[in-house]
Amino acid sequence: MDVGIIYLLVALILLIFSAVKDIKKTKEVLKVSGKMALTVFPVLFLIFILMGVTSVFVSKETIASWLGSGRGLLGILIGELVGTFALVQPAAVFPFAGVLLNKGASYSAIFGFVMTAILIGISTLPIEIKFFGKRFVIVRNFSTFILVFFLAMIVEVIMG
Amino acid sequence: MKKITKEALIYIIVAVTIWAIVAIVSPSKGVLVGKVAYNAFTKAIEIIIAVLIIIGLIQVWIPTQTLSKFLGKESGWKGLILASTIPLFIGGSAFVIFPLLKTILDKGASIAFVMAFITAWAGKAPLLPLETEFLGWKFALLRFSLIIPFAILIGLISRLLLEKPKSSNTGGKGTFNAEERR
Repeated sequence: MDVGIIYLLVALILLIFSAVKDIKKTKEVLKVSGKMALTVFPVLFLIFILMGVTSVFVSKETIASWLGSGRGLLGILIGELVGTFALVQPAAVFPFAGVLLNKGASYSAIFGFVMTAILIGISTLPIEIKFFGKRFVIVRNFSTFILVFFLAMIVEVIMG
Repeated sequence: MKKITKEALIYIIVAVTIWAIVAIVSPSKGVLVGKVAYNAFTKAIEIIIAVLIIIGLIQVWIPTQTLSKFLGKESGWKGLILASTIPLFIGGSAFVIFPLLKTILDKGASIAFVMAFITAWAGKAPLLPLETEFLGWKFALLRFSLIIPFAILIGLISRLLLEKPKSSNTGGKGTFNAEERR
């Protein structure tokens, strides 16, 4: 059986449990999920098109030479930089990373990309500064960038 | 709601424009792009719907507000470890999480706590099925298990760099006390 179906079944069973326990809350659940779907699907549509463009126009050699194991530590750094400036939602990060992986990117570079894409958001920077101040934001983002680099090396050792 | 639809429209327009340009320049490549996009879509759609439902369930049954407030009351190492673990499993956007954490911070939680919280929150456990599908379970598991020590470390670093040391502070083994800062 397809794994997707299994996940879907689990989600539906949980939803039924929720409905049996509290129908009002379950309506709220569907509202939250629906709202999220409205934000996530258009972004995914764009990402899927970009995935198509990447896999048609960017050769395996290009990705491998930028993000492949042969690049070593520089590959991690490039992955991190791409993730830092990529304006993608977490739900879209993984499918896109999958394309890069298939095109020959190393797991460590993928790790760098995924982590910075989720943790260092250029788009959420303004509100982070507003709430926590510049010093906080500088420390958090810089230490994240540096730590991810070292963690990616661990990933390389284990997955490489 | 209006803002969401407007944003959605922009994404769709940009995507269609890119696709159209490719198709005009080279129709065969346009078809290929469509094929790749369609394959990715069919691969992900069931998982994404499941994930959306589960995130909805988490948000309604375990509201972030209650959880964060509960976490904010914990101090010391216990607080730091909880802040590095629990947020892995919750959803919510930055627009919800940041104001909440700010409130907790003002109420006396340590900066280390907030830093660890934000970092662990990026673990995104609800998205694990998606990650496993596209990057493999080994990678997903490894990334997931690295997040917790990572969050703790970020907390410790921020404590070192951002929290003002008090004269009474002990040197080596510092106690993590949120009360200290007041």
